[in-house]
Amino acid sequence: MTETAPATTRSGPHLVLLTVYAIFALAAGARSLVQVFTHFDEAPIAYLLSVVAAATYVAGWFAIRRAAAGSAGFAKIMLWVELAGVIVVGVLSLAVPSWFPDDSVWSKFGSGYGFVPALLPILGLLWLWRGRPEGAR
Amino acid sequence: MDAVTLIGFIVAGYAAFVTIAAAIGVVLKAPRPTWLDQVAWMLEILAVVLAIGALAAWSGGRKPESLSTFLGYLGALVCLMPLALQTMRGDRSTWSSGVIAAAALATGVVAVRVMMVR
Repeated sequence: MTETAPATTRSGPHLVLLTVYAIFALAAGARSLVQVFTHFDEAPIAYLLSVVAAATYVAGWFAIRRAAAGSAGFAKIMLWVELAGVIVVGVLSLAVPSWFPDDSVWSKFGSGYGFVPALLPILGLLWLWRGRPEGAR
Repeated sequence: MDAVTLIGFIVAGYAAFVTIAAAIGVVLKAPRPTWLDQVAWMLEILAVVLAIGALAAWSGGRKPESLSTFLGYLGALVCLMPLALQTMRGDRSTWSSGVIAAAALATGVVAVRVMMVR
């Protein structure tokens, strides 16, 4: 794997991961902005967690890009942080429903998004472990 | 069922078809065929028709529960596929089909959300 080739010119499964991360950064970002600016008082904890989720997807997108270019350190941390976030928020949403009068992005392990938020960091970590060498064409 | 709902179902169904077609390309490890681009652009045309229909219904007096959500979904509906195709311009590899699959799936989901929130 050459360090010089820009991430975007090389093909591999990370292209799909990047697409899904971009979509989720946009979806979670737009959703959290609407939630925070139009009815923040209804569920402040849930909406702040939506903002955190959106920030995580933006960071995850950059992390995967860097990993595809050869430096996986940031992605290793970021994807575990994301997985922990989904699990913690998922458990909290079931254990302390009073904090979640309205849904956050990661409520119930991302059930509102077809559980893709729970699947995404796992797929990312699998790619880091196994997919990357083959993905680098 | 009004016309916009009907178009919404057509968009969602066609998006599912595009998703499956593109995903099969990934499974077969084939380079991205040019017909997939045409099929994807067809989805974009349908998405634009749905967006125009939804906007027409809105200007005709239909009030969405949250206007910003409604307009956000419309923006996503028409922007997703062109952005995906633009990003993958010049890359005919197998995995670029996967990008089209993800974008088509998201477009279908957004089409359903547009019908729910409009």
